[in-house]
Amino acid sequence: MRVPLAWLREYVELPVDPQRVADMLAQIGFPVDAIELRPVVTGVLVGRIAQLEKHPNADRLQVGKIDVGNGALLTIATAATNVALGQTIPVATIGAQLPHLKIERRKMRGVESEGMMVSAEELALPTEWFEDGIMQLDEALPPGTDVVEYFRLSEAVLDVDVTSNRVDALSILGLARELAAYQGTPLRAPEFGAFAPAASDAPGPRVSMDSPDCTRFVVQEFQNVRVAPSPAWMRIRLALAGQRPINNLVDISNYVMLETGQPLHFYDAAKIPDGHLIVRDAREGETLQTLDGEERELTPRDLVIASERGAEGLAGLMGGAASEVRESTTSILLESATFNGPRIRRTGARFALRSEASTRHEKTLPPVLSTWGAQRAAQLLRESGAKAGEPRVFGIAQPQTQEIAFDTRDIKRLLGFELTAQEIREYLDRLGFTVEPAGEQTLRVTPPLWRRDVTIAADVVEEVARMAGYDRIEGVIPAVAEHDISSNEYVLEGRIAATLSALGYDEVVTVALHGAQIFERMRRAGMEPTFQPVEVLNPLSEDQRYLRSALGPAHLEHLARLDTPARIFEIGHIFYRDEGQPLELPSAAFGFTAEPLQEPPWHDSHFLRLKSDAIALLRELTGRSDFEFAPDNRKGLHPGKTAAVLLDGREIASLGQIDPRLAKAFDLRLPAYGAWLYLERIPEFATPLYRPPSRYPSTYRDLALLCDVDTSAARVERVISGAIGDLCTAVRTFDEYRGAQVPEGKKSLAVRATMQRMDTTITDEEADAAIDRALASLRDELGITLRA
Amino acid sequence: MSELNTQLRELRERFDAAVAAAQDAQALDAARVAFLGRSGEVTLLRRGIGQLPAAERPSAGKEINAAVELMEAALQDAEAALQSREFEAELGMRIDVTFPAPPAALGAIHPLRRVTEDICRYFQRHGFAVVLGPEIEPEYYNFDALNIPADHPAREGFDSFFLTGNLLLRPHTSPMQIRTMQQHRPPVAVVVPGRCYRRDAVDARHHFQFHQIEGLLVDRGVHFGHLKGMLTGMCRELFGRDQQVRFRPSFFPFTEPSAEVDTTCPLCRASGSPCRMCGGSGWIELGGSGMVHPNVLRNMDYDPAEYSGWAFGFGVERMALVRYDIDDIRRFYENDPAFLKQLA
Repeated sequence: MRVPLAWLREYVELPVDPQRVADMLAQIGFPVDAIELRPVVTGVLVGRIAQLEKHPNADRLQVGKIDVGNGALLTIATAATNVALGQTIPVATIGAQLPHLKIERRKMRGVESEGMMVSAEELALPTEWFEDGIMQLDEALPPGTDVVEYFRLSEAVLDVDVTSNRVDALSILGLARELAAYQGTPLRAPEFGAFAPAASDAPGPRVSMDSPDCTRFVVQEFQNVRVAPSPAWMRIRLALAGQRPINNLVDISNYVMLETGQPLHFYDAAKIPDGHLIVRDAREGETLQTLDGEERELTPRDLVIASERGAEGLAGLMGGAASEVRESTTSILLESATFNGPRIRRTGARFALRSEASTRHEKTLPPVLSTWGAQRAAQLLRESGAKAGEPRVFGIAQPQTQEIAFDTRDIKRLLGFELTAQEIREYLDRLGFTVEPAGEQTLRVTPPLWRRDVTIAADVVEEVARMAGYDRIEGVIPAVAEHDISSNEYVLEGRIAATLSALGYDEVVTVALHGAQIFERMRRAGMEPTFQPVEVLNPLSEDQRYLRSALGPAHLEHLARLDTPARIFEIGHIFYRDEGQPLELPSAAFGFTAEPLQEPPWHDSHFLRLKSDAIALLRELTGRSDFEFAPDNRKGLHPGKTAAVLLDGREIASLGQIDPRLAKAFDLRLPAYGAWLYLERIPEFATPLYRPPSRYPSTYRDLALLCDVDTSAARVERVISGAIGDLCTAVRTFDEYRGAQVPEGKKSLAVRATMQRMDTTITDEEADAAIDRALASLRDELGITLRA
Repeated sequence: MSELNTQLRELRERFDAAVAAAQDAQALDAARVAFLGRSGEVTLLRRGIGQLPAAERPSAGKEINAAVELMEAALQDAEAALQSREFEAELGMRIDVTFPAPPAALGAIHPLRRVTEDICRYFQRHGFAVVLGPEIEPEYYNFDALNIPADHPAREGFDSFFLTGNLLLRPHTSPMQIRTMQQHRPPVAVVVPGRCYRRDAVDARHHFQFHQIEGLLVDRGVHFGHLKGMLTGMCRELFGRDQQVRFRPSFFPFTEPSAEVDTTCPLCRASGSPCRMCGGSGWIELGGSGMVHPNVLRNMDYDPAEYSGWAFGFGVERMALVRYDIDDIRRFYENDPAFLKQLA
């Protein structure tokens, strides 16, 4: 909210420095987003045009004699066309400082000009909100009055942030009240005069309250109304507060809203039959032309203010065109009402209607504000010459707030510091609360009528804390008691990150929302997405319509952008639809791009590197090393270079070379390799137990085996280790050969079997016998022979 | 002079010549073997003792032993001299220590994780668990259970991505307050890092995807001062040991009293002049906090008269921007290797 400091100062004594005022507001919960300082303007006086003549040497200029008080008449030429004899205007005298100009004596086409007639722009006011040409001031202003001083144009404007619970403070008066309470200084509220409503059944305007969503409605008739521009002070004040001045009636309703927080509406009384207003649900199919000229189709969900002839306005949002106040209006009905905020908000959202009034109404105003709004409006309308009828109140007659039983020990319990009962009472008293003792530690606290947000003891604690100052809170480290909440998932993530970074992968964080381009790329590679993606109903753009169903695609895009070999990993959630329901799983993926190697087609060192990293990672996560790698088929991976990683028969990861067709569709120049973990299936870390090594030497035998191309190394190793039995400490295939040296359909594997005894040195005979068993099993089970 | 003496002298001369001529350990060893080895010349000489008259044998033995001792000492000296020549040669080598080293094959941890881990470590040290939660949450966890009923004006602050009428991408990590309290009885002491989403247009300071870290402590006797203590400690861990923390009153439906948390701007402090990061105010806004609202406790069947607690929710990107003095939030999702390596 824009708060002209000059306006605020009218109701509360404040420090001169706007920054100090801003600091105070922040201290009590109203942060100031900006302090708008006004440009320096000096030497501008109120002048009256005593004479006005055509310029002798220029058709488009006029020359005036301006009375600026003390009998002085200044000769001033102007090109403005809206000047006339007798007008009261601002005049910049010689030596005056304007925002971009210093006024000096100068000749205009041969006439000595002793100053300048000034427009709103020269006073740094929004030009388009004021009359073209020279600004018009009120006749009653004595010539010679300092304009900047009188209108307090040098005062800063604060942009104050008011939280949604404090609609009572969404006004000049509301903020002044808070500042007065904080400083312990008096609030100089404007004198509204007594509020003496007539009986609601007395003759005159009346309101039928046909919806529970209007809790209070103050109506009042005013006659002898004359639509005209507002006085300069009000126009300036509104403009500084960010409201465009329109005419005296619109301006009064805006002024009252900004000052008291209560939005008002004026109806042309002549257009409301019998002065009878009805608050009701709109009827199905009912239409209303609103002030902005829009024809709106209403539904019973919308709350309207109607006359007997139909809807006259959308409650709390916008009036209707039919009963709009016009130039010809002579009498008006004032509405100062309290609505159910959510209902106003819903209709506002549906029609995309948002205004200063609706932002207040949709937070549900305290009913007492409707009294203040009506009172203040009546006062201002009377000043403008209107004749006021008696106000009438419908709905809640006497607004009230609920008493709260407040245990003063709650201060210490929730804030950690102590306040005396006297301090507590003092703070609450300043804020307008009624406080009565109700027991040794208990107070009966009744919030002031404007504080609908204070309903429980914790609210009272906050009020006291605001007044005492949050700086009173002293930092202490809590002694947290034992609990059994597990950090396992987080620990797992940390292990993944630590291991993969140690293995040389850079962690990336990609965007979890993507557009259809990913599916298009997949289709270009001849693949349909495996999963039904989760779609966002209200994306910001088409590029962010889908939640990722894998981490890989964003990684391929990233690796393609880099276009140099890179190693990356990411930990994050993935999403897809499972039987229509969105499903979310934690995932981790790592991979790399690498220059292709000169290798025989049946060997891929990059794959082995990936596998080695996967083993290292999985070992770190599970404490196990008995992973099984099985050939697999996965959309997106090379059909001959894909493995599933199994642990206890359960698939916990997949890895392989990215399908070259997919890589191409993602514009990858380099071959890419990737692995991903099914984090939800990773078993808890099993602490490995120490097995003391044998104190006796081991021995090994290297075997060159001739086997079918399809026989896997793992199979061969399993057979060997099974046949050797307990003597076997390791079997490892260390070389492979296919080609001219071996028969068609065969390959050669070089395998080392290591053997050792725990109790004594193994003999050559034992080792040889074990190897013979192994060779026999290989021959019998897999048809493998020793290579000649 | 006996014949033995002559033989010994002659042998010594040849031995000294051989040792002197030896240029390396191998040649030296060959000399040792030739003269002092099992079938070396000295052994041959010793065998000759047997042919001497019995009376001469002891003195002959002594003479040979004395000679062997001398020869062994000479060998040791020669070895030592040789070793020291070798060291001299090795130590005489000079490399250019300024020659660039190849980059270590260590990957970078993302700065967002670094910040998260540092915060979590601090809280873990003080007895908090770290829990993670889903990014898709129903309205109940995002709003209702947090005392933000439908139509509450505060819901407007959470401009969220919806997946169905009821499911949305969480706009904050606070749903995990509810999930944690549903599963545990006090004491509840957790921090919750995680990804969140809001319908914010992307610019240097905003992104529709961001990370938050939530803190929650509920037990008997927990008060606002404990929050200040922990947050001050956290900021010192993150930004340096002189950090100060201040609270400003604010409003969140799920806390009462509520506070905005600021910490002193570490960049201004470092440079000694007002900076762009904090707009010259000297304070950095971290996010919201407060005492858990009694309605939230009641929703969890915790008695607000018995238990009290606090919660906070801060933006991880915001803290990382300040910590590393980064100009633009988008850097975190661009994953430029140079960016990552620089901050790793």
